[in-house]
Amino acid sequence: MTLLTVEDVHKRYGREEVLKGVSLTLNRGETKVVIGPSGTGKSTLLRCVNRLTEPDSGRIWLENVEVTSAKTDINHIRAQIGFVFQDFNLFTHLTALDNVRLGLVSVKKLPKKEATDRAMAELERVGLRHKAKAYPAQLSGGQQQRVSIARALAMDPKLILFDEPTSALDPELIGEVLAVMIRLAEEGMTMIVVTHEMGFARSVADEIVFMEGGVIVEHGPPDRLFRSPEKPRTAEFLRRISELYGQEGR
Amino acid sequence: MRKALVLVTAAVLGLGLVAVGQRAPKYVVGSDINWAPFEWASAKGQYLGFDLDVMRAIAVLEGFEIEIVDMPFDSIIPAVVAGKVDIGASGFTITAERGEVVTFSQPYWKSDQAVVVRVGSGLTKEKALEAGRKVGAQRGTTGALWIEDNLVPQGVVLVEYETYPEAVLDLLAGRLDAVVQDVDPSKMAVAQYPGKLEIAGLIETGEEFGFLVALGDPKGILPKIHAGIAKLKESGAWDLLIEAYFGPSLAKIEAAWEKCISILLGEKNPLKYAQALLAEVKK
Amino acid sequence: MFPSPSFPLTAETWLRVGPYIPVLLRGLGVNIQILLGLIALGFVVGILIALLEVYAPRPLAFVGSAYAWFFRGVPEIVLLFLFYFGLSRTFNIPVSPFLAAVLALGLRSSAYQAQIFRGALLSIPHGQMMAARALGLGPVRAIFHVILPQALRLSLAGWSNEFSSVLKDTTLAWGIGVVEVMRQAAYIRGRDFPLTLPIYLTVAFMFLVLTYAGNWAIGAVEKRLRVPGLETRR
Repeated sequence: MTLLTVEDVHKRYGREEVLKGVSLTLNRGETKVVIGPSGTGKSTLLRCVNRLTEPDSGRIWLENVEVTSAKTDINHIRAQIGFVFQDFNLFTHLTALDNVRLGLVSVKKLPKKEATDRAMAELERVGLRHKAKAYPAQLSGGQQQRVSIARALAMDPKLILFDEPTSALDPELIGEVLAVMIRLAEEGMTMIVVTHEMGFARSVADEIVFMEGGVIVEHGPPDRLFRSPEKPRTAEFLRRISELYGQEGR
Repeated sequence: MRKALVLVTAAVLGLGLVAVGQRAPKYVVGSDINWAPFEWASAKGQYLGFDLDVMRAIAVLEGFEIEIVDMPFDSIIPAVVAGKVDIGASGFTITAERGEVVTFSQPYWKSDQAVVVRVGSGLTKEKALEAGRKVGAQRGTTGALWIEDNLVPQGVVLVEYETYPEAVLDLLAGRLDAVVQDVDPSKMAVAQYPGKLEIAGLIETGEEFGFLVALGDPKGILPKIHAGIAKLKESGAWDLLIEAYFGPSLAKIEAAWEKCISILLGEKNPLKYAQALLAEVKK
Repeated sequence: MFPSPSFPLTAETWLRVGPYIPVLLRGLGVNIQILLGLIALGFVVGILIALLEVYAPRPLAFVGSAYAWFFRGVPEIVLLFLFYFGLSRTFNIPVSPFLAAVLALGLRSSAYQAQIFRGALLSIPHGQMMAARALGLGPVRAIFHVILPQALRLSLAGWSNEFSSVLKDTTLAWGIGVVEVMRQAAYIRGRDFPLTLPIYLTVAFMFLVLTYAGNWAIGAVEKRLRVPGLETRR
């Protein structure tokens, strides 16, 4: 069953067109992993989905609501779509607990007690209940990213967008974040993940999307796409990645 | 956070309401209350002086209320022009220049200028005002204007001050050779430094003081002031007030004023007040 | 020249200052009232102007900048006259000297406070706003819950400078006839010239105490609100 539909989205920054007509559909419970060289519009695509970046043209639906319509309450849409940033963007002045609780209280209007219980449960889920009172500056990068995942989860999102969630982390901290994401995928969360973690992509993705130059070059199940890519550009990218990180990616 | 903002906003609005509420339907009298014995503040901060008591007595006699407001001398005429103040009562010399923007009452006082010097400086009036001397005066006063017109072209250096006491202090400190000011405040200053200051002589400018109101007297205040002064003079209260205010020490006047003022404001009897005040300062 | 016979600083003059202290304190009370009013007004307006400058579209942001330019550029005493004489004359609004002082000094302070807040707002990473919006917070909520709490913490150091500076500015209110501590001091000097120096030294001491107390209070607030990762740069 289709949850998200992206139809012919274009985005231009000045002279450069970063998205040249991208379309995709995402089913409920599906995990899509978007790979491709840097600067090919992967992050822009994610930001267009909840209109953190305003697309120039094209249409996007969440279920049967058109996200790109001017009549749509975009704040209501965003509350249903989790977003995990590359550099976490935890609210600096709030504790881990308050970071998770802010959306529950201010957007979902939950009573404080209920919001607190829910936030604690989400921190538990990412293994950071004991850090509830810590401020972001007192947490490691991996812990911060797990709090930011808890912040997204607390809103009961229909899907979560991950924008290179491990790229800003020291290598030894990547594993703990990936572990959380893998468990989410297994639990049936709908996700789009932009990443360079090929091992993660191979083991978790239902479908791999390869983007380059603002278009989707090729997409398909990971087994097929990694073993026998149809397009030479895909093959070239995979070859360079494996040279850099070894057979499994990083 | 939001609660704090609300409180802050309420506080700001509240200030406005209080200020509006303070405006009562009466005449506002503007005076630079730092010019004894015409107007000054007592040790307790109460406003007294010849000008102010005359205004209070006129208000009693003519049946209006006054609110005395202290302000810088230079600001009084602008405030009258702006309609902030109804009456200026601050020893204003009547001049044609001022007459173009405000309207004066009939004169109520005649004054000359005094030249104050340090005791032992050996300066006569003439020597104190020679070319090259530094002479101080309060900005905007007749004394300053007179020096500007008559002495500066001869080579006298005029030093202007915001207030009269500053000029006196600079004279004491030796930074000035003389200070020119109206006779009565000059006497008061000399009395504060016995053996240190003296009046070297008088400059007969023959200036006259008047109360002032907005140009053309749109509120019809001047007839009341004139009627009030006439009644005070007729009853003899006027001369008693002059005797009480010009001569005795400030401390004595303050003590007497505090004792007697209720006769004027409470019993509303100007003559009885003037008699009591004089008797008290003479004790 | 100091201290000379005309400015005696003897035990006798100091003893004579004593009875005047209540009068001076009454005057100082007026300065404190002006201070609280102007700081509050400057705070609210300052934040609004800073938000306009940083977040509003071009024409509105320009209005904010022009406002700040005007109130920073015109001397305090001129502003006081404009508000006291100008408002009533031009618009026929009755303004007491006290209210005019609060308005003039408060709006002037708002221009300076806006500069402090603006710097703080600009120093907050764009990602904070993005994350707030991504959660579904509208722009106003995002500013109130995420941006301002951080910006205000970062502003506290600059804000305590502004506090010390406007505290001294309150003495200018005498220019439009507000009887505050400097005027009370002038009264005393007017009836007792030899007390000039001790009286003004007393006033100076009062202001030093007030400045110290104010900065101590701001420091206490700062300590209370301190968050790791958001330390104010001193």
